[in-house]
Amino acid sequence: MLDVLQAASDGLLFGATYALIGIGFTLVFGVMHKINMAYAAASVGGAYAGLLVLQVAAGAPPWLVFLAAFAAGGLLGWLVYLACFHFIPLANPLATLMSTVGMLLLIDEVIVHATEGMPLSYPAMFDDVMLRAGELTLRGDLLLVFGISVLAMIALLLLLYRTRLGLATRAVSQQPVAAQLCGIRLVRVNALTFVVTGLLGGLAGALIGASVGALSPLLTTPLTVKGLIVTVIGGLGSIPGAIIAGLLVGGFESVLQMFRGVTERDLYVMLLLFVFLIFRPGGIFAGSASRD
Amino acid sequence: MKKQLAFAIALAFAASGAMAQEKTIRISGFGAKSGPVRSFGVNSEAAMLAAADVINKAGGVKLADGSKAKIVVDFFDDRCNAEEGISVVRRIAGSDALVAVGPTCSNVAEPLFGILQKKVGDASDSGLQFPVFTDVAIKVGLARISEWAFRNVPNEMTMYSSVFYWLSTTRPDLKTVYGGVEEDFAHSRATWHVVMKNRAQANNFNVVGESKWLLADTNFATQVREMKKANADVIAISAHPFSMCGALKEMARQGVKPKVLVGLTSSSSLETLQGCAKQAQGMIIPTSFAPVNKDGKFAAQTTAKFKGAADLHSMAAWENMFILKNVMESEGITGKDLQGDRRKIRDGLAKLKTTAGLMGVTKRTDDREADKPYLFVQAKGNEWVVLHNPL
Repeated sequence: MLDVLQAASDGLLFGATYALIGIGFTLVFGVMHKINMAYAAASVGGAYAGLLVLQVAAGAPPWLVFLAAFAAGGLLGWLVYLACFHFIPLANPLATLMSTVGMLLLIDEVIVHATEGMPLSYPAMFDDVMLRAGELTLRGDLLLVFGISVLAMIALLLLLYRTRLGLATRAVSQQPVAAQLCGIRLVRVNALTFVVTGLLGGLAGALIGASVGALSPLLTTPLTVKGLIVTVIGGLGSIPGAIIAGLLVGGFESVLQMFRGVTERDLYVMLLLFVFLIFRPGGIFAGSASRD
Repeated sequence: MKKQLAFAIALAFAASGAMAQEKTIRISGFGAKSGPVRSFGVNSEAAMLAAADVINKAGGVKLADGSKAKIVVDFFDDRCNAEEGISVVRRIAGSDALVAVGPTCSNVAEPLFGILQKKVGDASDSGLQFPVFTDVAIKVGLARISEWAFRNVPNEMTMYSSVFYWLSTTRPDLKTVYGGVEEDFAHSRATWHVVMKNRAQANNFNVVGESKWLLADTNFATQVREMKKANADVIAISAHPFSMCGALKEMARQGVKPKVLVGLTSSSSLETLQGCAKQAQGMIIPTSFAPVNKDGKFAAQTTAKFKGAADLHSMAAWENMFILKNVMESEGITGKDLQGDRRKIRDGLAKLKTTAGLMGVTKRTDDREADKPYLFVQAKGNEWVVLHNPL
């Protein structure tokens, strides 16, 4: 029983990294009703950019690397918007999907060429801290990721519900034409949404790098898949849903891995996704009658 | 002025005439130059170019008619993808290349060797009749798939047998072994299940368990917890640098400190040290290359000029070039009959009982594999240092 609890707590804490990626996917979908497939790759790209700090100032503290990743993520978010959305006809649902898939591959390959595909060590905060709750142990760095995820959710909710930008964002997400008639600049709101999610993505990438201890281009595809699963399970457009789904997926895969082994683990995560798609297609926070 | 101009033009014509007469032999390399294992392809290409440069500066390859030909190298990216690898080799076979050197990944080599003719001279087999001389893909026993397939990769069975024998004789206090394996990569999976585990047991170690993870996994908590419970004397990790570093860092967090840590052959590289030098300290890996002698140092320095790093894989590509040069000369390549010359290369490679390698003499086996000299290296600081030479 203790093993199950330990596996569940490990997974729940690690699920915070999935939640951070899921928030980015869900926010863009909530505002533009589009999926940004390049989000996880841009997040990892931002995290890699953060490492440049160590090249300029060797021995710089990890928080400075995270800050640089945060800023680089915002810049990458804006670039993704420009390249994949700004000049692409938004009415065509496949156009932006394909442009962001292309961007995912492009970012992936840029990282590979810049690093020769080699894994790079990533600085961590509190990685040597292990909290003990009886027989259970909790990793300090993952608790930090968890705390930052919750703070990010609160900050995003405040941004959405307590600021003029948030008001404009919600207006655009609900009625883009009416929002424009009210004087809201659609392009600006969309671009800022990408910058905000990019900032969050850069931070998420850095925290993932820190929690693994290394960054590799290998991370982009699995994080994209996990981010999408979390977004669907949490409910497209729901930020609290993304957080809860991230934790759920993390805990679920960790426990299933313990019982069924690593080779079957992802099979059950996919089954969980199918269960949601069939019985609760709108995700965790959807009304029960949302199907069809 | 007119005389000088006329002289220059005449010189240019003479030079172009000489250039036109220069014979060339093409050797095509292929491997991963994109994706997470890009460094393997980059290093192999650099080593091939460097070796060709050395050969060409020494006059080139002597052909059957006594004339000399320069070696031309080109390199194709197969992205570590089986379909791409097959497509690339079909393209190379359709060119004037005499032989191909590659691929990087065992999951490419296995199906690729399957499209080659199984038995030489079998008229009923329409498989590709084209020699492939592998430098990197290391999964055990692949060359036996086709008589056109040859490999110059270390024999892991021999190397790990030697590692566990050495550990059992020098450290009698070591009794138990636990494995950590990257389960979704052909090489690492085969190395644990077929080689390491088997060789440990053959040397009287008790294998007390194994933890599995995937190449792109990010969370190793459960696996390392199993490792900790087993409390083995030796932990053998058969994984590539990214997941190995993730596992090593988790081991450090959970305080898992085996008496001896053994790693996968391919991980005795710069990648591991860039990812987790601190956690990899003391790890022992058998390898078929370390720049410990004059030839090895020269090969490493020359490859560096072509922007490549010397490791057990890229130096196999370097060796392949010199082996091929010798075979071309001993078999009397004409440079005129492409398919005939390819067959001569195949037959010449098949005849070899030994080849000269950077670390000494390599034995060739009947199933077209290599039995290369090797030594044990250990992670110390930011480099791999030679720990023991068992030969």
